[in-house]
Amino acid sequence: MAVASVTGVGIIPFGKHSGKSIIDMGAKVGYLALKDAGIDPSKIQAGFFANGLAGRLFGDSTIGQNVFWELGINKIPVVNVENACTSGSSAFYLAYNMVAANQVEIAMVIGAEKMCVPEFGLINSGETELDTQLGLIAPASFAMRAIRYMDEYDCKPEQLAQVAVKNRQHARLNPNAQFKDPISIDMVMDSPMIVDPLTRFQCCPIADGAAAVILCSENIAKQMNRSVNIESAILCTGSYGNNQDMILWETDTRGCNLAYEKAGIGSQDIDVFECHDAFTISEILHYEALGLCDPGEGIRFLEEGHSRLGGKKPVNVSGGLLSRGHPVGATGVAQIGEIVTQLRNEAGPRQVEGAKIGLAHCMGGDKSGDTKSCTVAILSV
Amino acid sequence: MDTNADNMILPFAKNIFTQPPYKSNPPDLLGGFCSGCNDYFFPKPGYCPKCLGNIQTRPIGNKGTIYSFTVVRTPPLFDLPSPYAIGYIDLIKTKLRVFGLFDPEALDQLKIGARVVLSVKSLGTDSQGSPRLRPCFILEPENEHTMI
Ligand SMILES: [Zn+2]
Repeated sequence: MAVASVTGVGIIPFGKHSGKSIIDMGAKVGYLALKDAGIDPSKIQAGFFANGLAGRLFGDSTIGQNVFWELGINKIPVVNVENACTSGSSAFYLAYNMVAANQVEIAMVIGAEKMCVPEFGLINSGETELDTQLGLIAPASFAMRAIRYMDEYDCKPEQLAQVAVKNRQHARLNPNAQFKDPISIDMVMDSPMIVDPLTRFQCCPIADGAAAVILCSENIAKQMNRSVNIESAILCTGSYGNNQDMILWETDTRGCNLAYEKAGIGSQDIDVFECHDAFTISEILHYEALGLCDPGEGIRFLEEGHSRLGGKKPVNVSGGLLSRGHPVGATGVAQIGEIVTQLRNEAGPRQVEGAKIGLAHCMGGDKSGDTKSCTVAILSV
Repeated sequence: MDTNADNMILPFAKNIFTQPPYKSNPPDLLGGFCSGCNDYFFPKPGYCPKCLGNIQTRPIGNKGTIYSFTVVRTPPLFDLPSPYAIGYIDLIKTKLRVFGLFDPEALDQLKIGARVVLSVKSLGTDSQGSPRLRPCFILEPENEHTMI
């Protein structure tokens, strides 16, 4: 029996939210999550706020207290979480552990990000880091993985591009996705080259956005309708040894296996997946780390249609980062929110039929050719 | 060659590569070595990550093969050339896989497994816009390659 559950979800469409601040967006999704759960703000006993970039872009810090105050939530512990692209899922991980440890009965996680501003450049690990000073930007790490992958397994950029096409087909069914117009392999390949071999449509777009979830204890969950069990939530980091294998991703595989082990289930038991498709190659690598297919079989798994809506293991039916957009601090929360929505059987046209167990996977940051953070959450009804 | 001018230019960071003038010693990357663990690290950590012992600064090698690479076509940070190439290089001497820049003048000849040798060039700037020396790997000529 799960020790904690998700009992409320709030999300706003990802895209440009001109005139809306991080606080405005964060408070809006918090409000929606409270309404969804039917919980009074006074019942929230701990708040976690995730944001990745406001410190760098705007010089803002400790935003969470402002966001929760807007919702009438104060006096309780509030923690601000920054963990690159896993900021939101790291906040969820902390909230889960707090509830699981019986420190609080109800906790709320809000992730919000504002990126559609003139100050925005490409994401890197910080200008003081050695790799950044030698020219490393986030897409380049994955471009190097793509080039190595294509070399080892003899595949072509056009095959990677199919990930973007599939996730766009899914996004069309998600009103909260940023980009919904269908795209073709040719359109993906003809979009501007960013880092060889990744073209613009193979890189997730920046977005403004926010998402929230409310977690509660087993006792509270019994009194609620529509709550979804958290079977496991893990966070792991890399080993940062010097000889990172960029194809067989040890940290990714270790993180997924830990989540399976803690939940007492395997990939074969899971009906719906959200994974960190920041780039087309990412989703292929994550199929393999998640155990959906053997190493080197990711392209075939995609081409045989297993990861599309209606396939045996649908991945990123929300549209994923590639089409839903990637407001860094909100993404990890939105992925978990999508899984909750699927397991509640409330996903409308993108509903995975009969989904009972789902998994949300997220990754963030870059160090020595490895990720700085990998999170996995498994949920069930 | 603007060798004299390069001598005036400061390295982009301390203790990442040996300093000019090079004369008979070609440029080399600098990493850390733990004598207790007999292990090399790059970049040099403050302590040995395995035993927390002292770390010495040591040259870690200036020749290797390309593990992977990419060409970056977005507007560059630090005024690097546009486009520029980066990648991971497996160093022959210490077997370390290190991240680095490639010669911006030979972008379309990069391939996995190709042999490269370290060079140091005025490449890009610091955050204030002053030119800086950076290490970059250059493809070894093919004939040298086939001789080995
Ligand atoms: Zn040692």
